[in-house]
Amino acid sequence: MNYTFDWSVVTNNFPRLLDGLLLTVEISVIVIILSMIFAIPVALLRMSKIEVVRWLAQLYIEIFRCTPLLVQLFWVYYALPTLTGITIPGTISAVIALTLNLTAFMAEAYRSGFQAVPPEQVEAGKMLRLTRFQQIRHIIVPQALKQQLPVIMSLDISLFKDTALVSTIAVADLMFTANKISTESYRALEILSVAALMYFLIAFPASLILSKIERNMMETGNVRGIRRKSLAAQMAPGTKVEVKP
Amino acid sequence: MSENSAAHTGTHRDIAAKSGDVLVSCRGLKKSFGDREVMKSIDFDMLAGDITVIIGRSGSGKSTLLRAIAGLTDPDDGTMTFDGEVVFEDSKRTPAWKQVDSHVGMIFQSYTLWPHMDVLKNLTLAPRKRLGMSESAALERAEKALAEVGMSDHIHSRPSELSGGERQRVAIARALMMRPKLLLCDEITSALDPPVAAEVLDVLRRLKEEEGIAVALVTHDMAFASKAADRVVFFHEGEIAVNATPDDAFNKAEDPELKKFIDAVRF
Ligand SMILES: Nc1ncnc2c1ncn2[C@@H]1O[C@H](COP(=O)(O)OP(=O)(O)OP(=O)(O)O)[C@@H](O)[C@H]1O
Ligand SMILES: [Mg+2]
Repeated sequence: MNYTFDWSVVTNNFPRLLDGLLLTVEISVIVIILSMIFAIPVALLRMSKIEVVRWLAQLYIEIFRCTPLLVQLFWVYYALPTLTGITIPGTISAVIALTLNLTAFMAEAYRSGFQAVPPEQVEAGKMLRLTRFQQIRHIIVPQALKQQLPVIMSLDISLFKDTALVSTIAVADLMFTANKISTESYRALEILSVAALMYFLIAFPASLILSKIERNMMETGNVRGIRRKSLAAQMAPGTKVEVKP
Repeated sequence: MSENSAAHTGTHRDIAAKSGDVLVSCRGLKKSFGDREVMKSIDFDMLAGDITVIIGRSGSGKSTLLRAIAGLTDPDDGTMTFDGEVVFEDSKRTPAWKQVDSHVGMIFQSYTLWPHMDVLKNLTLAPRKRLGMSESAALERAEKALAEVGMSDHIHSRPSELSGGERQRVAIARALMMRPKLLLCDEITSALDPPVAAEVLDVLRRLKEEEGIAVALVTHDMAFASKAADRVVFFHEGEIAVNATPDDAFNKAEDPELKKFIDAVRF
């Protein structure tokens, strides 16, 4: 290999890359916040006593889980305006499509979290005459979020990486910017490596935190408050297995 | 804001039902789950300040009656009054129910406390959010409530740090925060060792004596029933087979099912 690296293309274009990264982070944060909020009503509708409501919520969830995100993105950007007659800018389309997608996955995580809250705790809330909203807000959601934190975090990390897809609808995110610079400069290797590193530097710490949380939850059992090391945690490499005499 | 906050002022408490008044009155309560008739036209009265112990075999409908009085389940038919107000008729709760419902508390066998909050927050959440109490007023009331159940030292403990008996005492304190006239207790000591259970039940007896709070208690603890109950109610297959004083129920039992039940529980 006799390729000569030229990192000046990176230093020269660093501010542009940072702008791209900033937009990537902005889109991610907005989408994550919106999804974490919208997923609450969707999860509740998914558990509704009314069959039609439950069915509609499930339909929404399955549509977004079972079609490619790229198709969803293109559909919102190119197809939706045909339907509504309103053109929306790429960034907004990106936020709408990603939010619809992440909300669907998030709602399923919330639902299993909601179902893990013992009914007695909710009934205790009813008996203290908390409103339905207060029961959800103070008893159900905090416990469900805590229980589902690893799932929620890994969904968020995936979303952050998947935002790269928005470059295909001309949103000037990190991927779009990197791609543009590399076609201008013919320095794809340097630019794309740096772009990858930038994604990595954000996703990796989040991933480390996630592993730590998962490990803590495993070790404390997280089941009915019983503190015990789970079998899987004991068998993980590097763990001392206590052998009883 | 809470539409019934006026109902929780001190003055209301002073004119609370006097001991001996009818607090709860149920007439013709019926409830079926599918084709299983769980309550077959139950007539049941409770006097203010009384301890009523409810006994009966598993599946006989004890919890269903408690849940109906609590407002957690609606009967299919019948009427209920609470503290002089008709709270259930024509198969639905009346508007008056919302005025009195906070005077009915209920405590369950397990998972009673909210594990993600400390004891203080468990106690003050409802008074603050539902009654609109200030933080300091709620704190003051929480301190009193915890003192009444002997748990003052644990105000900042987390539920996971408490023993089963301590959790149930905190659950009672939490119910006291709403100034109940009636506490419904569904097997609250069934998961506890006998001496611990006795301590918890003792709290209920003190609340009756000192605060005039009526207690309806589902339990298998016959010792407590004969010592502390004003009435003993025996459920059999969705009907109240016996409703009598402890002495009549245990020593002069004539109902063959009750006799069998007592023999089965005693030893
Ligand atoms: N939500 C429900 N759906 C269907 N069946 C129910 C429901 N709640 C109670 N039942 C049934 O009603 C019957 C009476 O139940 P209930 O809980 O009142 O009995 P219990 O006397 O409290 O029994 P235990 O001592 O076991 O608690 C039981 O057969 C039970 O299976
Ligand atoms: Mg029961």
